[in-house]
Amino acid sequence: MTERRASCRDLEKALVGADPELSAAFEAHAAGCAACGRELAEWRRLEAVAPSLRRSWESPDLLPRIRQAIAEESQRAPERTAPSARWRWVPAASLAALFAIAAAGLWVFRDSGNRDPLSEHWRTTKAPVLTDEAIAEVDAAEQNYLASIEKLSKLAEPALAGATSPVLVNYREKLEILDSAIAELKASIDQNRGNTHLRRELLAVYQEKQRTLQNLMKEVKS
Amino acid sequence: MESSIELKPKEFALTGTGQPTADSASLVVLYETHGGRMKSIAMNLLGNTTDAEDAVQEAFLRIHRAAAGFRGGSAVSTWAYRILINVCYDAMRRGRRRPESPLPEETALPRSADADTPLRLAIEQSLTKLERRERTAFLLCEVEGLSHREAAEILDVNPNTSRTLLFRAKRKLQKELSASGALAAAPAEGR
Repeated sequence: MTERRASCRDLEKALVGADPELSAAFEAHAAGCAACGRELAEWRRLEAVAPSLRRSWESPDLLPRIRQAIAEESQRAPERTAPSARWRWVPAASLAALFAIAAAGLWVFRDSGNRDPLSEHWRTTKAPVLTDEAIAEVDAAEQNYLASIEKLSKLAEPALAGATSPVLVNYREKLEILDSAIAELKASIDQNRGNTHLRRELLAVYQEKQRTLQNLMKEVKS
Repeated sequence: MESSIELKPKEFALTGTGQPTADSASLVVLYETHGGRMKSIAMNLLGNTTDAEDAVQEAFLRIHRAAAGFRGGSAVSTWAYRILINVCYDAMRRGRRRPESPLPEETALPRSADADTPLRLAIEQSLTKLERRERTAFLLCEVEGLSHREAAEILDVNPNTSRTLLFRAKRKLQKELSASGALAAAPAEGR
């Protein structure tokens, strides 16, 4: 078996230390090479001094402080993990609201022109395409919702911006979902403004957003 | 000296609810076994004893909170060090960064002066210039004496990456300290 040899080019590989055979061969090479010998000596010196960077000092108060902090947190924990009865309805209510939106979406996609869930105004025709007059009417209804939503959003903004309570966070998440749905519907409507189903669905989501903001404002005030 | 970080999950005794209590002996054992090394790591990352002790306290709080979810994928101690290092990184991000020069006098810990003192101070200063993970790899392996396997678990990387991080850290330190003459001033007796 031939003895492994190393050269100056093996310096970094040898210093990585993943290959003990190479490191040993490089050490033999460094014994006869001034430049590599210096590199290796510096490397070893760095390794030798490094452990002296370890710090040690007495901290007699630290363990009692830790135990105290944990004890305090444990006392607070039940308050955090058990929300008051007042808020217990929120997750269920959020789910119910989302379910209602989904149900409304499914419903308006059915061919059921005489069962408009929103308003008699929008029972325009059984045809899936709106007339110009109906489009103007729907546009006006949307503008009314938008004005109301904008006004409510401004009022709700300060409460939502710094929301930390579970209730407000829930509201914020729900509003984000609604905004996302609105953006998607608007993108689809831009490609087909006369589509009855899409316009109805958008109005349903606007209505839900308006209702959500109204409920949020009630919560903030209470 | 904490030569080994092996503290098996079974030693991290939990109460019947799976949650250690404030009096949990396991937390005390963890502190007594690894608190010193945790303080040292935090000190070398944050630069002063106050921040280091705060970081250790915060790490124990996070350990306490997360204990119920610990599934024993690694040694408890490795897990604890990982939490500590994340706490230190958070503190560094918040702006309580390690000073860019050697520790201020009021926070430097008294240590006996010897021939290695100038080099030790130079290393401390150069460490601040390293990339965060490289510095941590150097502290874990070279200063605290942990293995690559342990360092890799703490850093959440594979052992080869840990080895590479350590190599890069040492090479950068070597080059800087060699250029400044700090390594050339080696004691005549060698090692």
